[in-house]
Amino acid sequence: MKGAEFFVKALENEGVELIFGYPGGAIMPVYDALLDSKIRHILVRHEQAAALAADGYARATGKVGVCMATSGPGATNLVTGIANAYMDSVPVVAITGQVPTNLMGTDAFQEVDIFGITLPVVKHSFLIDSVKDMARVVHEAFRIARSGRPGPVLIDVPKDIVNANAAFEIHRSDASEFPAPPSPEAIARAAELMKASRRPVIYAGGGIGMGRALKEFGEFVEATRIPVISTLKGLGAIPTQHELFLGMMGMHGMKASNHAVQACDLLVCIGARFDDRATGKISGFAPHARVIHMDVDPAEVGKLRHADVPLIGDLRKSLAALSFSVECGEWRHECLAWKKSHAWNYDAPAPGIYAPWFLKRLAQRTGDNVIVCCDVGQHQMWVAQHFDFQRPQQHLSSGGLGTMGFGLPAAIGAQLAYPNACVINVSGDGSMMMNLQELATLRRYDLPVKIVLFDNRALGMVRQWQELFHDKRYSEVDLSDNPDFVRVAESMGIPAFRVENKEHIEDAIDGLLGASGPVMAHVVIDQEANVWPIVGPGKTNSEMLDEVRQ
Amino acid sequence: MNTLTLRLQVKNDEGALVRILGTTRRRRFDLVSLKADCSPDGSFLEVRMTVQADRPESTLVRHLEKLMDVSQVEVVKPGEGEEGVRAAASTT
Repeated sequence: MKGAEFFVKALENEGVELIFGYPGGAIMPVYDALLDSKIRHILVRHEQAAALAADGYARATGKVGVCMATSGPGATNLVTGIANAYMDSVPVVAITGQVPTNLMGTDAFQEVDIFGITLPVVKHSFLIDSVKDMARVVHEAFRIARSGRPGPVLIDVPKDIVNANAAFEIHRSDASEFPAPPSPEAIARAAELMKASRRPVIYAGGGIGMGRALKEFGEFVEATRIPVISTLKGLGAIPTQHELFLGMMGMHGMKASNHAVQACDLLVCIGARFDDRATGKISGFAPHARVIHMDVDPAEVGKLRHADVPLIGDLRKSLAALSFSVECGEWRHECLAWKKSHAWNYDAPAPGIYAPWFLKRLAQRTGDNVIVCCDVGQHQMWVAQHFDFQRPQQHLSSGGLGTMGFGLPAAIGAQLAYPNACVINVSGDGSMMMNLQELATLRRYDLPVKIVLFDNRALGMVRQWQELFHDKRYSEVDLSDNPDFVRVAESMGIPAFRVENKEHIEDAIDGLLGASGPVMAHVVIDQEANVWPIVGPGKTNSEMLDEVRQ
Repeated sequence: MNTLTLRLQVKNDEGALVRILGTTRRRRFDLVSLKADCSPDGSFLEVRMTVQADRPESTLVRHLEKLMDVSQVEVVKPGEGEEGVRAAASTT
């Protein structure tokens, strides 16, 4: 058997159903072997989209996403997607072809040291330099990608290795994929802090969903009745409409969430990492709180904020052990009063379409079977603020890296994983142009992704910062020469329509949700609409700015 | 600026030493000295490195411990000499 057939069989053995990729010279033997495999290959139009689609597939399913590219530029085009998965702890295996081993190090055609280039943005990486190692490497790559704190793993495969002959073998490992439980002593100390607290807050992060701890987390919230705030990736850890959920925290968080975290006396941080977008100025974050920090990754505990009680290990075990009633009724009522008094205001600041209201109506008209992907910028924050999520797998957003162009490839990955789901990609006119070519992938596979393209003819978030923090000195944010997005979409086989009047919002949503195939709504919005509230640079979460209307 | 000396047991796989140095730089620790010895069969590296940083030593230690190639990270206490390093290397 050729090494390439062996390699593809090893992937099948790991349960791989889909590979997102793009062929080329060095990886050609693997593409040849794929013709005889049950694995489905999805041909994207740019390798970055392959990595981001694998990321979206992995976020939506919890399975390992797989992307593949050839050596040289094919491999370097994967890098942004690999970094995206690394920053958000998403299990992805990235496979790259490499020039033959005898040419490695000679600056051969399409040779690049992708192993070296990706070292800072992978959980681990392998260069297969013997066909004898192939079974072990493939198995280890998948185990590492999904175990503990998940992350991307690179497999670089030289062409002569996949052309070599080998006898197929299945590699098995007895290494555990389950994190160890936290120490009983730490659990006891955490319980003491919870019993002594009168103003506790739960700070929920993406680790809850990634750690498959949603059930235990829900039980923990119901038992303790502690108010919950979340990070961007923690949205959906409990349903966003749950009475105890105060909202997302941080730079564009709900006022109630930021008030609560700044006033609490105990912060129960679960699967989160004190990211600067969530905490604001870290020295002024939750200034009165002691901290219980639950995380599977010891490197995150104490990295940015001292943990009075570190609970390192399986979140499910920590949550189950601490699910008891906590006396915080007065505080809870105070938090819920803040939530009520700071509810969103949907009065449009300008005559045109108000994107938050469009999203609110879209959320109200979609059921639980919806997955919302987004790009990066103002629309991303509006999605986080105004959509409703029952579980984190419904909200695919590039949190750590903030990758413009993430949304459409992620939607492709999610729609392929769940063909019957209503997958919506919310984008902006800046982000859409970053991976616009993937409209052709939507058409090729007839994926019924619904695209909402908010067009303010500007790089809205950068423009907002320049308005607020750079004295309205606008530098390189004008996109008034955008193409006609409707015609672009139609030329790539995607039905599209334009919406400019707020009276037509319901018709637009009808057009989106009523379409049986892919469709794009090009929604023209006011350029002056900003994301509120905002915590400015270097400020604490107590210092939120809000819109001032004349 | 704190000085920290570490002794690491490392599986001598592709890029292992580069990964350690990359992690050190990425976490903003400055390298002061580095010594790496290969075990007789070439399968392990014994690495001793001294670094400087304003950051807590746990920041680097925990990130090095996460590397798949690194099996052990020890903080060498001030005053512990080369004998200790050689004794550790001879056991690999």
